[in-house]
Amino acid sequence: MTAEVSELRELRASVREFLEAKSPEEAVRKLMESEPRFDLDVWAQAADQLRLPGLAIPEEYGGDGFGPVELGVVMEEMGRALLCSPFFATVVLAAQALLASGDSDACARHLPGIASGRTTATLAVAEDSGSWDPALISARAVPDGDGGWRLNGRKCFVIDGTTADLILVVARTVAGPSFFAVDRTAPGVTAVAMETLDATRAMARLTFDSVAATPVGAEGSGGRIMARVLDMASVGLAAEQAGGARRCLEMSAEYARTRHQFGRPIGSFQAVKHKCADMLVQVELAEASAREAARLADEGAADFPVAAAVAHACCSRAYMFAAMENIQVHGGIGFTWEHPAHLYFRRAKSSQLLFGGPAVYHERLLDRLGI
Amino acid sequence: MDQEMQDFAAEARRFLDAHATKAPDRAAVTWGVGDDSMAYFSSLPPEEEAEEVRRARAWQRTRHENGFGWITGPPEYGGRGLTPVHDLLYDAVESEYAVPDTGVLGVVGLGMIGPTILAHAQPHIKECWLPAMYRGDAIACQLFSEPGAGSDLASVATRAVREGAEWVLDGQKVWTSVAQHSEIGIALTRTDPDAPKHRGITAFLVPMDAPGVEVRPLRQMTGGADFNEVFLTDVRIPDDHRLGEVDGGWTVALTTLMNERNTVGSEGAGPVAAALSPEHLSALMRATWTWDDRALRGRLAELLVDAMATGYLNDRAQRTLRAGIAPGPERSVSKLMYGQNLTRAAHFVSDCLGPRIIADTGQWGTYAWSELLLATPALRILGGTEEIMKNILAERVLGLPKEPVTTAAKEVRS
Ligand SMILES: Cc1cc2nc3c(=O)[nH]c(=O)nc-3n(C[C@H](O)[C@H](O)[C@H](O)COP(=O)(O)OP(=O)(O)OC[C@H]3O[C@@H](n4cnc5c(N)ncnc54)[C@H](O)[C@@H]3O)c2cc1C
Repeated sequence: MTAEVSELRELRASVREFLEAKSPEEAVRKLMESEPRFDLDVWAQAADQLRLPGLAIPEEYGGDGFGPVELGVVMEEMGRALLCSPFFATVVLAAQALLASGDSDACARHLPGIASGRTTATLAVAEDSGSWDPALISARAVPDGDGGWRLNGRKCFVIDGTTADLILVVARTVAGPSFFAVDRTAPGVTAVAMETLDATRAMARLTFDSVAATPVGAEGSGGRIMARVLDMASVGLAAEQAGGARRCLEMSAEYARTRHQFGRPIGSFQAVKHKCADMLVQVELAEASAREAARLADEGAADFPVAAAVAHACCSRAYMFAAMENIQVHGGIGFTWEHPAHLYFRRAKSSQLLFGGPAVYHERLLDRLGI
Repeated sequence: MDQEMQDFAAEARRFLDAHATKAPDRAAVTWGVGDDSMAYFSSLPPEEEAEEVRRARAWQRTRHENGFGWITGPPEYGGRGLTPVHDLLYDAVESEYAVPDTGVLGVVGLGMIGPTILAHAQPHIKECWLPAMYRGDAIACQLFSEPGAGSDLASVATRAVREGAEWVLDGQKVWTSVAQHSEIGIALTRTDPDAPKHRGITAFLVPMDAPGVEVRPLRQMTGGADFNEVFLTDVRIPDDHRLGEVDGGWTVALTTLMNERNTVGSEGAGPVAAALSPEHLSALMRATWTWDDRALRGRLAELLVDAMATGYLNDRAQRTLRAGIAPGPERSVSKLMYGQNLTRAAHFVSDCLGPRIIADTGQWGTYAWSELLLATPALRILGGTEEIMKNILAERVLGLPKEPVTTAAKEVRS
């Protein structure tokens, strides 16, 4: 189901209004240094008032049944506001993994809690190298002889790994990479927060020592599920990046109009003017590619995987560019801790490399194009 | 797509089935097979070029006779009275067929000059020229740039002086595309040297066979001569050939420039399609044994990301248009990207080819790329340079302050 243009505009307006009230810069800065790294009340309000966690979850699992296009609008707004919340890990990573697994039991068990905002969740894929390549996974799961499974291994870069209630872990079995659901409070799970470049997105290192785990999807289907999840996640991330990039551009344009040097607004100097125009070009391309990819995902179009790869690469570059130039346009003040520019810089770099970075996403695009 | 659009597309297909053949599938590249020309500008000997122009005129006439010559034009001037969306749909359908290239008529004349005449000419002038243009009988050119007025177009110095019911034009135009084939042109002239520069300009429709109009080909860096110098010496133009008000020519120019930005960068066929096609570029990498080169693969990915994102932006602009909403800055952004994408593609391909682009080995699909390579600098200049486009984006879209004009500059111009 896709909303009409006017409904999307309304959705955007209400999410923006909510975030302006609940996630102003001071709030972001406070949460960056707290544990958990999100505001439980705000999260509950996002669920109760705006029904955000359930937005893109099918109605049969307690959601509102919208799709990637609406999810994109929400992610763009969250990217603008740098919202600290479990939304990305729970809704974009974990819920999409559950849906991609085609495991209706697992969906029925976990998605209603996620849709209502009661359950937060995350996905544990990467290990020490940070790679999402299923071939590089060393965590293992073995049958425990009583019909259950035991999980052993270590995962890194797990977003919200110290707080998520449900952890979906990719582990190796004799049949190949497979997905497992693990309760974070299960005996044998240790979660240690990692220090992060972008403090607005919490990450953890998780250790699993013979932890009870429930298979999600068919054994050995992990590679296929991950490919799908990576596409959906990179489109969600792309929207967030496009939103952040747009915000950087707005900050720069605003400053260039008002800051005077040599008796003129700095925006009347062409060096600055052209920087802003270059940012605009990148932002327009980023928005177009993120939105097009979401649209194709919604339509289930055959060229969605290509569009997802384009969106990921395009938005990663655009955001990084806009975040860097934003500091340059602001001059010295842009380099201070007090100014928000560095928060966007950190988020931009962290997002660009989250799923492996340029060399990886370039090859993924070429692979999707059969090159 | 609603029923009306479906019917229209079906009608277009019937017409094209009857008058053209299906184009070969561009995605399927067989290395070494077919035409390997990568010419963006024509570089044909004069007789062959004349033949091409004849074919272009003939195809435009066929289109026109079947109701597809001027889809958005008002019926009283031979148009079909349909929407820009119909126009886009027709283009999409036609792109599946192999039809003669009508660029000589289309890019400047039908894309830019036609809309300007429609907006600013007197009714009998419209009746005289518009049907002829859209029937392929009249090719039109844009006599704007001068040696001293390029980016700063409002500095035109070609003079027009009133003598009774006529105007006498004197001056020199330059870089005038397709002037050598044109029946008419729109000239910007200075009619009030004392007014601020934007306010003393008047626009005229100039019949290119009027006494005193002399077209001299300018050889461009590709070797061909698509553009020209045009000398206007005591050219007498009746007052009814004036477009818009006396001294109100800047408004007329803006109509043309707006259409120019919409036209440039929307050509997607021919060498442009090949230069940005993943299939074509990967076939080229295989043929040049560069398939495994990591650095080149990274650059290819970057190039394709830009080309595809630009495509998404264009699609979005079209969808917005279809929804009846005026598009945002998409067209200016894609004009800018278009030049950059092709430039980067040409240099990427050069690096795959290595020495094979510096001298012709006779191998298919190699030295041919030099034609595109040599055309790319123009794409960053024509229709407004990159720098001017950035000024426009920054000032009109982001609201940044204009550059202050210094007193010295004002004195020089007056
Ligand atoms: C292939 C081709 C076809 C053309 N066809 C036509 C045609 O049919 N009709 C027609 O009228 N014209 C035509 N032109 C002319 C074209 O519109 C001009 O060349 C163009 O507008 C630039 O003007 P200029 O060449 O005088 O360069 P200049 O204006 O002298 O510019 C030189 C350099 O200075 C930069 N510059 C100038 N002003 C500024 C500024 N304010 N800020 C920053 N940088 C600035 C420019 O970007 C450029 O890099 C054509 C040009 C080409 C290349």
